Amino acid sequence: MESRILKPLLGVYLGLFILFLYGPFIVLTILSFQAGPDGGPQFPIIEWSTYWYRHLFGMTEVTRVAPLRLGEALFRSLTLAFMTMVTATVLGVISAQAFRKRFKGSNVVFYLIVLGMMVPGVLTGLGISLLSTELGITRTWWGTAFVAHVVYTFPFAFLVMLAIFNRFDPSIEEASWSLGVSPIRTFRKITLPFVFPGVLSSMLFAFTLSYDEFPRTLFAGGSDLTLPRTIYATFAVEIHPNIFAFGVLTTLFSFSLLAVFGILMYLSTRRAKKLASQEDI
Amino acid sequence: MTETSTASGAAGTLPRQKTDSTAWLLITPGVIWMTLFLVAPILMILYVSFWTQTTFAINPTPTLESWRDFFTSQTYMNALWTTVRIWLIVLAATLLVGYPAALFIGIFVRSRILSISLLIVCVIPFWTSFLIRVLAWRPMLGREGAINILLQKFGITSAPIDALLFSELSVVIGMTQIYVVFMVGPIAFMLSRIDRNVIEAARDLGAGFGRIFTRIILPLSLPGVVVGAIFVSVMVLGEFATSAALSGRQVNLLGNIIVTQVGSLKWAFASVVGVVLTVIIGIVIAMLLRVVDLKREL
Repeated sequence: MESRILKPLLGVYLGLFILFLYGPFIVLTILSFQAGPDGGPQFPIIEWSTYWYRHLFGMTEVTRVAPLRLGEALFRSLTLAFMTMVTATVLGVISAQAFRKRFKGSNVVFYLIVLGMMVPGVLTGLGISLLSTELGITRTWWGTAFVAHVVYTFPFAFLVMLAIFNRFDPSIEEASWSLGVSPIRTFRKITLPFVFPGVLSSMLFAFTLSYDEFPRTLFAGGSDLTLPRTIYATFAVEIHPNIFAFGVLTTLFSFSLLAVFGILMYLSTRRAKKLASQEDI
Repeated sequence: MTETSTASGAAGTLPRQKTDSTAWLLITPGVIWMTLFLVAPILMILYVSFWTQTTFAINPTPTLESWRDFFTSQTYMNALWTTVRIWLIVLAATLLVGYPAALFIGIFVRSRILSISLLIVCVIPFWTSFLIRVLAWRPMLGREGAINILLQKFGITSAPIDALLFSELSVVIGMTQIYVVFMVGPIAFMLSRIDRNVIEAARDLGAGFGRIFTRIILPLSLPGVVVGAIFVSVMVLGEFATSAALSGRQVNLLGNIIVTQVGSLKWAFASVVGVVLTVIIGIVIAMLLRVVDLKREL
């Protein structure tokens, strides 16, 4: 077939496509080294400097460019992401566990859960803020925004766990039950170690989605800003390269998170394999 | 998996009643959570859309006024039209830009590890904050931006193009870049499941690539296209941040209207827009699901 021409052609296309995906980030990284405080967020680079990185940490003299108040926002975002991660993963695991056998109404429940990732954030956010206003509940990032985050991330955890349980052989559990081991102990000792890689993936999904979540938090988050809302606040005013420097730093931070995840994943799959081989003996 | 799997357990013989009640016990927390924090809020939007709006407050006297305002105002009908137009353009753009990339990853890359690595490479930009990724398009597309500099350097244009930033085009470019991966992933997944022997057989029987593509590859990848299209549609229709950052207030989507209306405490009106948006998304998903029966395909 024409694959001798088509394959290299598509390969080149994929290269361009990846460039398209990375282009803005490359430009952002370059511009984060713009001279300060007079250099703007555009080309050309007046002079290479780390001014905006020092600006982020308050290590520069006071200028007309107000420093971003990122410390508290970062703390809130990480706490919120952690709370969301734990809740969404627990809900996801127990719900997927229920779905291992067809039960009455399972179809409706399935769509109800998946709805959470299908409804746009603007709508969930608007609805929750309407409801909380009506009920006289003060909107906070750890309350109203938190429940909205779980509504968003729980379906992801649920679907990941559903896929994992589908591949898990139930007869191992049945063997344990028939030997008189209690269901809870069986779950802890047999099921959980096997599905742990899936639990880790659910946690990663929930954490990163919540950490970067914006529309729901904008409506339901109250007056204390999370990280994405702090960034959004700069949209309205003039932007400076400090926001780019911040983007580079958060990306590096995300990669270190990802590395931790990779290591945990490696260790847990190795443990699962070990368990499997032990049972062979 | 293991040899012990031949042991048959007692669980299989449990009466259905018992397994049903355990299942409901496990599912109850999730169902309660979704009912309280997802279904109730959406019903609340519908309810409030019929409330009476005064200058700074709303009261539950039923009225159709906000609905009438929406459908008689030129501004809001324009926003509705703009939302639908941008959605269609971005959907087409993500498909056109994403499909060839997915085709290469899913069909032409033989090694499984390589194709997974390529997908991971595509996903990595997602670990930069969404809003910062949007913002990064400003120095790309601006008058003195990277694209204009490159275009002039290579002599393609003699003067910088102004229309790149703060226009509908910049919103479309930004959204395409942000959402295209949601199209590439599902399509590449479906393509990688195609049995290579089918393609080989077609080739041996003398079919050219064009014929193989239209008769085998495209139909088999359709479920992936539909899943990708649902992801992209839901996200684009609910967008407001990209248009706020890149259009310079030139592009007003329904999402932007909700944000501004809530900002000026016009809750009833924001709710009307919310209901309209929900209806549009419902129609779009229903239409897409008619193309392919996903339950059967997955």
